[in-house]
Amino acid sequence: MAGLMVTRETRGQLAAIALMRWQLIVNSLRTLRGRLEMASRVMMALTFSVGGFAGAVGMCLGAWYFVSSGRMEFLALLLWFLFLFWQFVPVVATAFTENADSSNLLRFPLSYPAFFLIRMAYGSLDLATVLGSLWLAAMAVGIGFAAPGLFAWAAVVLLAFGVVNTLLARVIFAWIERWLARRRTREILGFVFFIFLIGFQFIGPVMNRYEGRAHPQARQLAERILPAGRALPPGLAAAAVARAGEAKPAAALGALGLLCAYGAVFFVLLHARLRAQYLGENLSEAAAPAGRVKGKRMLYRGWSLPGVSGPVAAILEKEFRYLLRSGPMLFTLVMPVVVLLIFRLTPGRAGGGDGFLLKAPDMAFPVGSAYAMLVLTNLVFNNFGPDGAGAQFFYASPVRLREVVLAKNLAAALVVAMEIALVWLGVCYLYRPPALDVTLATLAGLLFALPANMAVGNVLSMYAPKKIDLGTFGRQRASSATQFAAMGCQLGIFGIAALVVLAAHFAGRLWLAAAFFLVLAAAAFGVYAFALERAEQMALARREVILAELSRA
Amino acid sequence: MEPVAICTEALTRRFGALVAVDNVNLRVAAGQFFGFLGPNGAGKSTTIKMLTGLLAPSCGQIQVLGSDLTKDSAEVKRQIGVVPEGMALFGRLTGCEYLNFAGRMYGLDRDRAAKRAAELLEFMQLADQPKTLVTDYSHGMQKKLALAAAVIHSPRILFLDEPFEGVDAIASGTLKAMLQRMIARGATIFLTSHVLEIVERLCSHVAIIHRGRLVAQGSLEELRAGVEAGEAPGTAAEKLTLEQIFLRVVGGAHHADQELSWLG
Repeated sequence: MAGLMVTRETRGQLAAIALMRWQLIVNSLRTLRGRLEMASRVMMALTFSVGGFAGAVGMCLGAWYFVSSGRMEFLALLLWFLFLFWQFVPVVATAFTENADSSNLLRFPLSYPAFFLIRMAYGSLDLATVLGSLWLAAMAVGIGFAAPGLFAWAAVVLLAFGVVNTLLARVIFAWIERWLARRRTREILGFVFFIFLIGFQFIGPVMNRYEGRAHPQARQLAERILPAGRALPPGLAAAAVARAGEAKPAAALGALGLLCAYGAVFFVLLHARLRAQYLGENLSEAAAPAGRVKGKRMLYRGWSLPGVSGPVAAILEKEFRYLLRSGPMLFTLVMPVVVLLIFRLTPGRAGGGDGFLLKAPDMAFPVGSAYAMLVLTNLVFNNFGPDGAGAQFFYASPVRLREVVLAKNLAAALVVAMEIALVWLGVCYLYRPPALDVTLATLAGLLFALPANMAVGNVLSMYAPKKIDLGTFGRQRASSATQFAAMGCQLGIFGIAALVVLAAHFAGRLWLAAAFFLVLAAAAFGVYAFALERAEQMALARREVILAELSRA
Repeated sequence: MEPVAICTEALTRRFGALVAVDNVNLRVAAGQFFGFLGPNGAGKSTTIKMLTGLLAPSCGQIQVLGSDLTKDSAEVKRQIGVVPEGMALFGRLTGCEYLNFAGRMYGLDRDRAAKRAAELLEFMQLADQPKTLVTDYSHGMQKKLALAAAVIHSPRILFLDEPFEGVDAIASGTLKAMLQRMIARGATIFLTSHVLEIVERLCSHVAIIHRGRLVAQGSLEELRAGVEAGEAPGTAAEKLTLEQIFLRVVGGAHHADQELSWLG
């Protein structure tokens, strides 16, 4: 850690990198596409700012209320929310998270401290960190208004809490990336997840068994577990502020010291990862023994699918192989079930009680499906992104680009279908089998949402393509222009869907929603077919931009 | 007269104010091993991209095997193979999967694609790492794989953009052996390269592009005769190499007089 001193040379390098990033931004504004991209970024930032500032006001008021009413321990509630948001959002929304590639900087005589700082700086630009920092600042302001004498101490504690969160978020990201990079650790992680899922099922029966009974052992266990929350970073940060408010400086310092100890542990874990990257670690599958094969080999035949032409089957196979070899995408695929699990775990109110989906289990399938749709549309809004320079092959081959787009859409549709089946099974397992009318309405809604997304996605894929790396965590984000347009598209689709469901709900006949969704689906298919017919022309007209953008180093 | 494999008329490509390829008239006869040379930024890659349908010309005509590329692009593409500048590989497939994919995209059935993929992997000495992803191949291996994918459908014309760049002597030997085999069987090869010795050894005909304009075209002997004819009698005592021809045609002036006093 002594090696993390920043020298004059390091400062010069950091300044050079900051200048390079700035020049990249300025140079990107030379083209219309670059200006649109910047405008989209600004619009996205403004959109998130609205939510961010609303959250900040809430945090400020909450902190003010708890401190002025003398219930400073309850600051832990706000800090726990913030902590979970900070840690979960980057992982859950990996498709929307940017993890800039800093490995190409390693060719320069960059010291490890400089590399570490750059990785931290890149990481602190993500949505969760920006909003988390803003909310912490708002909390400090709220505490300052309620108890001005406590402001300076609270600011120090919350700053430490922010640093701990930033370090932990980076640690989680770096280690998940590490584990998902290789097949073996990916399988282990998958197995652990499966065990977790199975184990979770025992919580319900156990809770039911002991619910309402003054079982001494269960109470003892609960009494032991609950204080554990106070020993974790949010509890410690709240305790540090609360003890200072009670004029117990030793206890306050102790809590802050423990919080800093967490920071030190996360720092060491992150250091282990980043040091390996700094020394040139290669996380590709090839690092695992690939095994040279001698002697006679089996002839490998590609996929054959009934009713599908050879080239379309070949592209489908390629798309699936890409997905199956992408740790981050596999992670994205299990996220809808994880979200259902989180809803299953989350109590409805502070004192316990059932969460939203437990109260309305029939909503679990629509909610899970909508979430699946949301995370998977990333696949259709940047069709050629994962191909990179390989997209040239499509242009050089005799296959019509319309067929290529169709094959990619088919692959995405199959993935969505499989995901929805997985969600349905998850809902049956975690909640209860959804009612028939709910299932039909949800499926009909998906039949509307999918082609509508694909129609827009195909156009965006050609107008704002961006090379992405499916193999590396945090490099699946489409261009800002695409994200902004996609967000608008999703809002429109979900808005329409919500109106349809509400109307059917008030009419007391959910099957009406299914029928109306089917009508909308027919219209969406029409739009999709129209867009697909123009895909060839569009792809040829845009080939320079597409190929130049995707062939970038 | 030999049938024409590639023919362009007034081929031009502009990028804003920059004219990258200016009024180029190329003629490549069927069965020729054709070298397309030029200094950096002369317009070689832009030309090859236009000839293979990767880039639309601003104006001009392109005929490949008697067909208009813009009108019958699918038909033309069925008969050509391309190794473009970025190699156009799919990094997250294995070599075998990629070749199967390429074969089927060119219309081969599964069995034939599988058989040819296996043969090509053997020929290119890539068969002993079946589980390695393309992204983890060395640069030379990627070049060999890109060439294998470009020939899997047995094209009549092969376009190669810098096929020997970054390739070691062993891999280079394998590539050359394959190209010569194709020429022997009547295919046409159109390649760009900065390695003039290789072009001189392999190619029967050469064209030189400079600042977007075609400044020389013909067989090596024709180019040599053209350059020698423009020089004072008796100055060319020995047979000119392609490098000498190239430097004289594009005017390779040195800037040795500018001294970098701080260097070494």
